[in-house]
Amino acid sequence: MSNRKDTELEQEQAKSRRRIPDVAPLLGFLVLLTVFFTVTSPYFLDPDNFKNIFVALAVTGIICVPGTMLMIAGQVDLSVGSAAAVSGMILANVVNDYGITTGLFAVLAFGLVLGIVNGFFVTVVGVNSLITTLGTLATLYGIALLIGNGQTLMMKNFEWLGTAQPAGIPLPIFIFFFIAVIGIITLRRTRFGRSLYAIGSNPNAARVVGIRSNRILFASFILSGLSSALAGAILTSQLSAGDPNAARGLELEVITAIVLGGASLAGGRGTMWGTIIGLTTIGVLNNGLILLDVPTFWQRVAQGLMLILAVSFDATRERLASKRR
Amino acid sequence: MGKVAKRMSNELVSLHGIHKSFSGVEVLHGVDLTLGAGEVLALLGENGAGKSTLVKILAGDIEPTSGSIEIRGTKLAKLDVYQARQLGVRMIFQELNDAPALTVAENIFLGQWPHSGPFVGWSEMAKKAQAVLDRLEVDIPVDAIAGQLRVGERQLLEIARALTQDTKVLVLDEPTAALSNVEVERLFSVMDQLREEGVGMIYITHRLDEVARVADRVQVLRDGSSVLTVDAKKASREDLVAAMLGHASEKNVRPQHHETSEPALKVSGLTSFAEFTNVDFTVNKGEVLALFGKIGSGTAEICESLFGLRPITSGRAEIFGREYKAKSAGDSADQAIGYLPADRQRLGSFPVRSVAENLAVRSWQKMGRFGFVNRLLEHQAFSRWAEALRIVSRGSTQTISTLSGGNQQKVLLARWFEAQVKILLLVEPTRGVDVGARRDIYEIIREQAQSSGMAVLVATSDYEEVVLLADRALVMSRGEVVSELTGNSVEASKLIAASS
Repeated sequence: MSNRKDTELEQEQAKSRRRIPDVAPLLGFLVLLTVFFTVTSPYFLDPDNFKNIFVALAVTGIICVPGTMLMIAGQVDLSVGSAAAVSGMILANVVNDYGITTGLFAVLAFGLVLGIVNGFFVTVVGVNSLITTLGTLATLYGIALLIGNGQTLMMKNFEWLGTAQPAGIPLPIFIFFFIAVIGIITLRRTRFGRSLYAIGSNPNAARVVGIRSNRILFASFILSGLSSALAGAILTSQLSAGDPNAARGLELEVITAIVLGGASLAGGRGTMWGTIIGLTTIGVLNNGLILLDVPTFWQRVAQGLMLILAVSFDATRERLASKRR
Repeated sequence: MGKVAKRMSNELVSLHGIHKSFSGVEVLHGVDLTLGAGEVLALLGENGAGKSTLVKILAGDIEPTSGSIEIRGTKLAKLDVYQARQLGVRMIFQELNDAPALTVAENIFLGQWPHSGPFVGWSEMAKKAQAVLDRLEVDIPVDAIAGQLRVGERQLLEIARALTQDTKVLVLDEPTAALSNVEVERLFSVMDQLREEGVGMIYITHRLDEVARVADRVQVLRDGSSVLTVDAKKASREDLVAAMLGHASEKNVRPQHHETSEPALKVSGLTSFAEFTNVDFTVNKGEVLALFGKIGSGTAEICESLFGLRPITSGRAEIFGREYKAKSAGDSADQAIGYLPADRQRLGSFPVRSVAENLAVRSWQKMGRFGFVNRLLEHQAFSRWAEALRIVSRGSTQTISTLSGGNQQKVLLARWFEAQVKILLLVEPTRGVDVGARRDIYEIIREQAQSSGMAVLVATSDYEEVVLLADRALVMSRGEVVSELTGNSVEASKLIAASS
């Protein structure tokens, strides 16, 4: 009896595996890009270049993990870029005067406070998350400029976080993979993760089945704040300086990666793997453009176009899905 | 005979040999359908029989795989929504398609507001809207906001909207599911009037007693084929049920009364503003108590209040002897109280998620430790309930919104069974569910109640449901309990007499 059911289940899972995943077109695009850059640039396939691609992605990627969670729950955090900038400025200040440990604690405390502020306005006051975090984005950018009086602050003796290479692999990549794995497990296997899907799919029904939506969203905003702070610290360590403009537009890159990866803007859909593939696509494109000596300003243009492409893709899929019904 | 001849000469719609497949699975196997001017065709069939697909093809919403469509003498190879509208085809769905933030008048003329230049002609619109509402004998102020009306009233607005447009073929997909008896009768008299005006109507319903009242002809679909087309006056209820199910049905028999004595839920003097006042009752363990009354009589509102979705202004509720105040839905869920809302779309399902997830969402806690959820247990729970409740799906990973209404409802019921709730509050549990599945659901609810000692409170406006499901019934009218029926005195005639 139970054997039969298990076989049925396996067949079912096999069936769902056979179904073309949402990220298939993106994966195809990524392969095309890779082939194109391999052909056009002799440096592209070099292992060191791949290291470069992933080091560049690690900072964005760390933020993308809670970002994906929020998007699945139908929320968005735009304050991540400014938050990374502020934490960089804080870090540069504190490390120079009080040392590394205190600096890291200060940065994480800042991330926690930011998450609480965003979470408070979204869940307790009930402001739309887009507007709330647009507000914190602007506020924090101002604060980042205020801390350094608009200047870049040099930071000494703290390069290892951003540049150490245990076993030949840069530390930021390790950190990113660690966080991403936690993200994958959380979304797929935990009650917290499954609740995010339920909340994004139908917030009212989530309330009726007793999911504590507010707590879960609050926690997600805190995770987002903490990871932005950590990302800011890594970025600052890489640059050996706190630069208020270093993380400008980071939120755009984060959202592009998430939406490219198949998370629905309407909530309820998306995967961590999808986000990782989306992120890699952005990384490969940016890197390839540099290798081909395209002026860096074009990277911004490409990124904007990618975002539009990604949301169009999302909208088209929604429409097709509703037609198939 | 004369009627048949007239129909032939005034044929409005002729669908011939309609086939339709969705991703390789054929759901319609060559269905024919004709509709004459001034004719009402009742379209019957269980959920998933293909009724909705067929009428959506007529509305241009879905393109048939093969077959021919002829509307008012125009043969069409391909029909789109716009063309269908041009030819005078209008659909009224079970689900509302209105703009809740706009006024009644704006909703009636939605998108076709009377205007002079870019400006909406408010006074003209109000006057015209009033005229349509008068014709429907509906007493709703034209400047009321649609979202603040009852579901039944909003449904009438959709019908009013169809009346303002040049409608030749009107398709009504279960419009009475949310209507009170008075509203249903009002709708039928409007349909009689439209028949006089030569409008052809296709009426989809699950309520067999409505067929003889409103239809000229009945067509029954089963598993994507047309199995019976007869004169509505000659069709017996048994024949129709047999055609829908493919076998003869059992008669309406009262279930075996279940003797219980241990109180599970006790309310006294329960009041919520004017929605319901001074309600007293006790539901025992293992018992099914029905609150019967028209929509708006307070039955559904009592369930909402007990679950914490609506304030209780006075009175008290006790669960297993302890006083209980529901502060929020989360509180109630923690107290092992389950709630199945009438509005499945808004409060019940997680549309883009799988059936397994929809079923297991309330049971994650026991499906793993340390905050983890074992997906295998999720799938197994679904397989178990799918078998017990005969849920028709392509498997546990299918998205719930692609199931038929009846099957969606079974998944949502199984959600609370799986969560092993001690008290289950059901609001119109079989609205939009077909006859066969309905009996399954009643049987399952009773079985669960008796085997697990779950106390069930059912708010319903369907007297048949009360007869078939409940051990005891309280009849409500205007927010007050007006009578109590027990045992074999729970009869349709008594219920209707007491509620009106």
